[in-house]
Amino acid sequence: MSTTIAAAAPVRPQLRWGVAGYAVLVVAAIAVAIMAPKTGYVLNISLQATTYAVAVLGLTVVLGLCGQINLAQAAFFGLGAYAVGIGQTSWGLNFWVCLVLGMGLAALFGAVLGASTLRLGGHYLAMVTISFQQILTLVLINWIPVTRGPDGVPSIPRPAMFTDGSSYLALCIAVLAFAGYLVWRLRDTRLGRAMRAVRDNELAAGVAGIDVYRTKVTAFAISSILGGLGGGLFAGGFAYVSPDQFSFAESIVFLTMTLLGGVSSPIGAAIGTGLLILIPEWLRFLKSVPGLYLAIYGAAVVLIVLFMPDGIWGFVRGHLDRFKRAAPIITSTAALQLAGGGAGTETVLEVRRLSKHFGGLKAVDEVDFVVRRGGVHALIGPNGSGKTTTLNVLSGLYRATGGKIFLDGRDVTGLPPHARTVAGLGRTFQNIRLWKSMTALENVTVGAERPGSSVSDADAVLARARAALAFVGLEARADEVVAGFSYGHQRAVEIARALAGDPALLLLDEPGAGLNSSEKVELRDLLRRISARGLTIMIIDHDMTLVTEVAQHITVLNFGRRIADGTAADVLAHPDVVAAYLGAPDAAA
Amino acid sequence: MDLALQLLFTGIGIGSVYALVALGFVLIFRATNVVNFAQGEFSMVAAFLMIVFSVKLELPYWLAFLISLGGMALLGALFNLAVYYPLRHRTYLPVIISTIGASIFIANTVLAIHGPEPEVMSGWFETPGFLVGPVYLDSQYLLIIAVTAALVALQYWFFEHTLLGKKLQATSQDKEMAALLGIPVAAMIMITFVYSAVIGGIAGILVAPVLFVSISMGSTIALKAFAATIIGGFGDVTGAIIGGLALGVIETFGAAYISVPYKDGFAFLVLVLFLVFRPQGIFGERVAEKA
Amino acid sequence: MVVSRRVFTAGLAAGVAAPALIGRAGAQGATVKIGMVVPVTGAAAESGSFAQTGARIALEQVNKAGGVLGKPLELVTEDDQTTNPGAVLAFSKLASQPDIVAFLGSIRSTQMHAMAPEMMKIGKPVGFGGTDPGLTKLGNPWLFRFRPNDSYSGKVIAQYGAQTLGKKKWAIVHSTDAFGTAGAKALTEALPDNGSTLALDQGYANQSQDFTPVVLAVRQSGAEILGTYFTFETDLGIFARQLRQLGVTVPWVGSPSIVNLSALKLAGPALFNTFGVADYAEDSSDASKTFAKAYREVRKVAPDNQSSWTYDAVTVLAMAMNKAGTTEPGKVRDAMLTIRGHKGAEGEYNFDRNGDGLHGYNIVKNEKGDIKFDKRIDFTPQLG
Repeated sequence: MSTTIAAAAPVRPQLRWGVAGYAVLVVAAIAVAIMAPKTGYVLNISLQATTYAVAVLGLTVVLGLCGQINLAQAAFFGLGAYAVGIGQTSWGLNFWVCLVLGMGLAALFGAVLGASTLRLGGHYLAMVTISFQQILTLVLINWIPVTRGPDGVPSIPRPAMFTDGSSYLALCIAVLAFAGYLVWRLRDTRLGRAMRAVRDNELAAGVAGIDVYRTKVTAFAISSILGGLGGGLFAGGFAYVSPDQFSFAESIVFLTMTLLGGVSSPIGAAIGTGLLILIPEWLRFLKSVPGLYLAIYGAAVVLIVLFMPDGIWGFVRGHLDRFKRAAPIITSTAALQLAGGGAGTETVLEVRRLSKHFGGLKAVDEVDFVVRRGGVHALIGPNGSGKTTTLNVLSGLYRATGGKIFLDGRDVTGLPPHARTVAGLGRTFQNIRLWKSMTALENVTVGAERPGSSVSDADAVLARARAALAFVGLEARADEVVAGFSYGHQRAVEIARALAGDPALLLLDEPGAGLNSSEKVELRDLLRRISARGLTIMIIDHDMTLVTEVAQHITVLNFGRRIADGTAADVLAHPDVVAAYLGAPDAAA
Repeated sequence: MDLALQLLFTGIGIGSVYALVALGFVLIFRATNVVNFAQGEFSMVAAFLMIVFSVKLELPYWLAFLISLGGMALLGALFNLAVYYPLRHRTYLPVIISTIGASIFIANTVLAIHGPEPEVMSGWFETPGFLVGPVYLDSQYLLIIAVTAALVALQYWFFEHTLLGKKLQATSQDKEMAALLGIPVAAMIMITFVYSAVIGGIAGILVAPVLFVSISMGSTIALKAFAATIIGGFGDVTGAIIGGLALGVIETFGAAYISVPYKDGFAFLVLVLFLVFRPQGIFGERVAEKA
Repeated sequence: MVVSRRVFTAGLAAGVAAPALIGRAGAQGATVKIGMVVPVTGAAAESGSFAQTGARIALEQVNKAGGVLGKPLELVTEDDQTTNPGAVLAFSKLASQPDIVAFLGSIRSTQMHAMAPEMMKIGKPVGFGGTDPGLTKLGNPWLFRFRPNDSYSGKVIAQYGAQTLGKKKWAIVHSTDAFGTAGAKALTEALPDNGSTLALDQGYANQSQDFTPVVLAVRQSGAEILGTYFTFETDLGIFARQLRQLGVTVPWVGSPSIVNLSALKLAGPALFNTFGVADYAEDSSDASKTFAKAYREVRKVAPDNQSSWTYDAVTVLAMAMNKAGTTEPGKVRDAMLTIRGHKGAEGEYNFDRNGDGLHGYNIVKNEKGDIKFDKRIDFTPQLG
């Protein structure tokens, strides 16, 4: 599932009032909560909405930012609620201790659940989370000595200072506001970018140096923690918890709240939660016909999904964006520095007897070659000769059947893709793999954040990303979402992303594919400029003009075997190569 | 031994129910890559239609049956037009939410029209069942098992040996390719929804004499049928049948020999074990993404 | 799709705003209001409609007799959706209306537990039907139970089995929800006093599709008599049929749901010759017969305990208010506690200190689908 969930606005909105405005709003809400007179009904509705919203924020992280489905949020909510309930009433623990315990418990289960299944995606993850949800419900009902079974846990106290409804509601609002702020900020942190990269394109995320698996588990754990936090507050708010409050149906409600409000923002979470709690309440006047108001509610859910693809907040923001100022373009003065892996040895990459078999098919068969530092090395061959397979084995997307790969003298044969990137490998894809819902700058920033790169502090990373974009000539479009870019520009952003990581070796998989002739000239010049900065390039391409124009060294594959290797001129004159390309009958044997 | 045989029969019987509902899931999943959370409601609606036409209006059984299935075909078509088709270019998430909304809508509309009381529907046979040695065979379960087997055979023949079946298969495998080959993809998806609704309807009418007819009958079976689909490997018809049967047998034996209250848990425990250790299901579906 | 996005958005906005504007109307002070939390949707929707009918019959009778303190009585209902959070919201919605002077809670014990803190807060009398004995021991002075609690049902089932039917080796089958576990516990505790033993204690999860393993366990246990606590009638129906199919014929005494109308309709002959404890039995007293007559005129079917307790609750609350001469909660509570020997549809009401009004059960027998009253077993309460 590499598709985007919600296309973001073309330019990220610049908050004019920012954090100060948000703080004023929150303080006002808290003041209203404390001072405004309200009935028990309004209080209960507000308590339910705020505590649910905290859990829904968790889904904003795991689903909105990281693109992973979670149909067990009610279970994590329940873990937090039961921790606060049982912890206080059975074990005599302090409310805050219980709240933290509940969050810890939820995080633990979330991480374990995620760790065991996040390698699978989409529907499979949906099923596992449903299963967890069902099993937890059964345990809550049947493990009577601990959970008190179906009777539930009554008389759950609230913490000192927050015992009356108004102050407790104020506490919940404060927690929600703080959690909402963190989630809002998370989006533009390194972790948040990594999550969005994983959501938009997992393969590219791995190759850009993101530990995809750990990112997903982290997202899942954060979501669970927020679920547990919301649940703990809920238990204090309603003083009673029982298993049927945390059933699968409630998980569905949480998910619907998230999608209805809009997954892309914490504001959407708040809107969705508020609305889904209020709609059935507003429709109560229809109660004379049983089922009628829930039928209308169901129909409303379908209609909102049909007519507001990005949720209600996405819809509203789409309209607000028309009034927004364009962000000023920041031009970078610094030139892109490429270390090219440093001085080091003369050999950047060494491949020894590398094989990759698919069943009986030997796609790559005991291939040897050496890429020397500096210059451009081309890997060519007819269709089906094993070029792309070789590249995929080099970057770790495929596991080698046999042989060894050394990068800067280090054996990387067994490493996963992101670890190879850390070791100094950068690559692009034949079919461009950008993170489509992110801006050009964000795409390149993730590249610049490559662990093991020379720059590490946030400002330097950003400067480096801008420099890389400037290097490919796209600094003016830094803040635009790349989905709207032309093919050639997307290709350039992808190269900039790899360059920003300052790799020791840049692997380019058919960079010329799909480009028109003027774009190809630009590409050729770009490759020459990169090479001139001392970065070693290994390129695969069909376009012999491009290859001969840029490459000093060529390796030729055919039927998975190396048939020639040497300087460009020698190789192109080699009779086997000529035969392979012209299809002489004896060469095909 | 007698005990085990009795449990085995019951397990296969209830497993066939899961399998029948699972069949509807799989068909829609194959065609659209979407799990239809309202599939259980199809069964429920069909059972209520049957109550209206057969019990209340006292039409002959076969006529009521045909009218009910006709109604299901219509419901399937409407469902496609209103819930799936407008979202066909979006990801699976909005579609899931949309089917969930539709499920709430359908269940509560039936509640609003019919009212909450559960209904009884008599079985297709006069004799409720008979003893074979020590084992009691419920005739309605025998019928369910037979119909499930027949439907699987029919399905196989339909997909492998008819032009329409092959077109449907092509559509489910690669929509763009199918469109290039001149197959009307939209019509194929429409047929799939109609067919799934009818299959779900047959399942509902068949289980009604055993489980009674109630608003919640669909959703309780549907969740198990989900689990069955996963165990069998999503997107495989034979797998769904085997998964359903396996689930029925596992949970019946689990309840008898381990714990009754945790009965529903066995289904999901088995499901998790499958997902962790054999995510491709019994018959396998590719999970890896190609580079 | 004909509806454009703009039209839809406008419609949504209107739909969101409208209900806030409607529903503010309604005259104040002309009536005495009782709030009722009742399932209109969800799994218990059907019993909810019975409960409403029972309450409305009482309402009519009270009003025909002059109302409460000279004003007509009015019933305000809210749907609890058969869920706990739903019940809490429904109750707090009612509680936020200051002119409601008393409430009817739920027949479900878990929902009562969920609402209990709110009921404590609002401090007005609440009549309820949940039978978990713990509910009247929460130290909440506002809860008044209009059905006998489960400690009585367990005692009655055990006593009837041992003394009348002469069977002492029990198998107990119960739902694992609050009602089922509490009932099974009460029955288990009552066995030794009647010289009986427990051969099998078997719980099951609600909404099961199959009971074969449970039935086989009953068969294997060698029990002479079966006691059951079922929550949902569909479960009971499936269980009863499979029990008969697999050849279990031992006497069976069940909790009230075994004589529920839906259960009788669903299970049919499979429940013939079973016994049930029933808090409501039509032939148990003149008051029950009178209620049945009134109920049949409205619903065309026989009443069951879903409607009888709400009927009694509305009647008794009205009576207490008239007796107290005010709707002031504390005074009404005192009046409730002094009620002695009121003959309601469910039995004779004598409220003890905890708020339990009834202290015994009827035993009824299913004779070919007709519920025949057999006997009533009452225990002497500790009145304060």
